[in-house]
Parts: sequence; structure tokens; C-alpha cells
Amino acid sequence: MGEAIVVTSGKGGVGKTTTTANLGTALALQGKKVCLIDTDIGLRNLDVVLGLENRIIYDLVDVVEGRCRVNQALVKDKRFDDRLFLLPAAQTTDKLAVSPEQMKELVTELKREYDFVLIDCPAGIEQGYKNAVAGADRAIVVTTPEISAVRDADRIIGLLEQEEGIEPPKLIINRIRRHLMDTGEALDVNDITTHLSIDLLGIVMDDENVISSSNKGEPVVMDPSNRAAIGYRNIARRILGESVPLMSMDDKQKGFFGKLKSLFSK
Amino acid sequence: MTQMTKKQLVMIKGTKSGLVLRLDDQCSYAELLGEMGQKVGEEALEGMAEVQLHLGNRYCTDDQVKELIGIVQESPHLRVSKVQSDVIRMEECNRRIIESQSETYVGIIRSGQIVKADGDLVIIGDINPNGKAIANGNIFVLGRLKGIAHAGAGGNHDAVIAASWLEATHLMIADKIETMTDELTVLSESPEMECAYIHQNGFIAIDRLQELRNLRPNLSTFKGGS
Repeated sequence: MGEAIVVTSGKGGVGKTTTTANLGTALALQGKKVCLIDTDIGLRNLDVVLGLENRIIYDLVDVVEGRCRVNQALVKDKRFDDRLFLLPAAQTTDKLAVSPEQMKELVTELKREYDFVLIDCPAGIEQGYKNAVAGADRAIVVTTPEISAVRDADRIIGLLEQEEGIEPPKLIINRIRRHLMDTGEALDVNDITTHLSIDLLGIVMDDENVISSSNKGEPVVMDPSNRAAIGYRNIARRILGESVPLMSMDDKQKGFFGKLKSLFSK
Repeated sequence: MTQMTKKQLVMIKGTKSGLVLRLDDQCSYAELLGEMGQKVGEEALEGMAEVQLHLGNRYCTDDQVKELIGIVQESPHLRVSKVQSDVIRMEECNRRIIESQSETYVGIIRSGQIVKADGDLVIIGDINPNGKAIANGNIFVLGRLKGIAHAGAGGNHDAVIAASWLEATHLMIADKIETMTDELTVLSESPEMECAYIHQNGFIAIDRLQELRNLRPNLSTFKGGS
């Protein structure tokens, strides 16, 4: 029996879909069998980020309404043998086409076959959100170092805490820009975690390659040297239960003298 | 008709703080009104005297109390400063019991959440922005108050809001509301250990927590000790 994890944020555009795609890929790279579900019916794009857009035949609504079996709708990512699958959202209808009960049933069915079921939640706190969290065992809240995103994260954490059968949510702080945090223009990691007072699952640095790789349909996590990728890989390892120290936010690897200097300047 | 000397229904006593009218609580209300009218008329006074009405074990409705005050104040020399009764209605008694009770909430009141209490509310945790605590009594936050707090929601102007860290966006006491803008430098300077209350000028004021014992001495319910 696998685990279902919902990736949510409240606010749009903080990187839920990118996080889902990268964590799914990272878990598959670790040898786990992963199924991603896009619940953003009407505004799907997890398929695009994974580069699987043109392989979709059936979608979530087809499965729920019984027009096909689950296995027929799952799109296999050929890069990972039989370890990464996507259940795409429908694009032609809206969020009301699916009910939380139906989602719960579907997720339970998928958990039997997969180690991890990652659910990409739409923005907002309405029906789409309710569908996404219905079958989840764990929740990941994604936020960015902006007050608006943190406010919405707070709201969503409040809702998740009232949800039954779901573990206390964990936090990912996405799109961290070192220099803005240093100058105090952006909230720092500590401020955000104290304010929200939930466990920090990991941080992800802001990186241009995240956008270019999304456009290419190759999750950035596949490039092991990329700093955003390292963040995602660390988070995946923490999900698997390893204890990995929080990555350093330094932009570049320091040379010997740089390290020596920072040692004395502390 | 009666042979015995008639019992006095209204006793007048002079004290340092003015006159005290002790009203009989066994006779009928109509009798009492009649005698009050007489007594007040008899009083030959100069200047202005403060009068306290002691009702004893008689329960008077709000309208009756007004009527009694009206009769006394028909005399241009008398002004009622206080009406005191030894009895209250069950309803009010129960309300007072509930209001004097305190409820405890452990956790964080997050954005969009509302926590309500009939009496005092003790919050062990934070109130985040857009989170709201409402109490008929006082609100005490053992944590950071960064959202909205409404004390004395039933109309109690004496209610206070106290917090370990007072950084609220809105403070409300009874029907008064204060938005905590940047202009209030008191807050931004040291939001630690502070309390909010309705000042004599009618506006919500903020002071150090330690001042509370002078500002609201009745808040303390502690008995005994040494």
C-alpha cells in the first residue's frame, strides 16, 4: 500500500505543478513507483511540464465517469521504465465534474499499485482543492518568500489541519533568492517557518533552468548539478525518511580561501 | 385606619457621600411609589444632593427603576447617583457566570479561522493575520497576536486584550474598533507584553501589560494568598 501526498498552496503560481513534477521524478529516480494526478481540471499543465502532453488519450474525468479503466488513462513516462505515470486532468470540463468521494476511491485504488501517489492541487480553496485533498494521507504546502503566498499558505494549513485522516502538513519554500533574503527584502526561511509553525520539508532555490526545462518538458531535477534540482532531490529523500541537512543557500561553491574566510567571519 | 403607627416604607439616611434612600422590600410597589412621592416632596433642601437608592430584596425591572429615579429627581435638589439591589434575575446571574468563565484554546488561529468564547478567552499560540478571536470577556494571548481580536463583544467596555506580542491588524473592544496602522508608533516600537483597553477618552489605547492592575483593578479574581 503506497502513500498519497497532496501538493497544495492556496495561491496560484508558487510552483505546485513544478514541485509535483520534480518530486515525482526525483522519487522515480530513487527507484520508487510513482503516479502523479493532475486535479486542476480545466487548466491542466502537469502533462506539459513532464513533456507528456501529446500522449494523453483519456483523462481523470473519463476514469471517474467510467468511460475507461484507470490503467488506460495513465500516461507512462518512458524515461523511467515503469516507474513514473501521470493521470492527466480533463481540459474540456470544470472542477465540478469530480466529487471528493470519487477522488478518494480513485486514489485508494492507485495506492495499491504505486509507492507514491502525488496529487497536484489547483489554486484556491474551492471544489478543486477539496477533490485534491480528499484521498491524501500527507500534505505538502508550497510557498514562496512573499507575504501574499505566506498568507494563503497559512489559510490552507488551517484548512488542512481540520481535515480528517491527513497528517500535519509540511512546508516547502520555493523560489528562494539568496540576495533578496540577505538584504531583508524577502522574508527569510526562519521568518516563514516561525510564522506558519509547521515542519519545513525543504527549500528550493530560484533558478532560470526551472523555467527552460519546464518548457522542454524535462523536469529540472534530472540535472543533478542544478541547485534547484538538489533542493528537490533532498526533499524526495526526506519524504523517503532519510534525514538530509538543509542545503546551503550559497550561490556558488567557495574556494579554499573563501571557506577559510567565511570560517573567520562567523 | 390602623391603630399601630404605620411602618416607614422609605428610610432616609445621611452619609458622607450623600443621602441614602432605603426602600422597604415587603410592601407593594404602588404603596412604595406613593410614599416616595410624599417623602421627596417633604424634603426641604438647598443646593444639590446625591441620592443612592437601596432596593433591598425587591426586584425592579428597568422601567420601574427609571420610574423610581424619575420620582426622586422631580425634586430639583436631588440627583440619583446609584441604584443598588440585593437581587438579580436568574438570567443575568447565568450570563454573569458564563462571562466570568474562561475558555482556553491551544493552537494557532490561522487566516480565515474564527475562535469564539462566551466568557474570557485564553489563547496559547498565535493569532495569524486574518485569523480572529472573539470573546464576550477579555482576550489573553500567550503568543503573537498578529490578526484580529474582539474583546467584550457583548458590549462590555471594560474588557481588555492582552498579548505577549501585540502586533494585531485590528483591535476591537465592545463597539470600538482600531486599525493598527503604521501611524501608531507605540506598537512598532515594542510590541512585547502589551494590553489594549478603552481609555477614558473613548478610544482604544495600548499600554504595558504591567499597567493593567491599575487600569482594570476589578480584573483580578484572585482570592487569598499572602
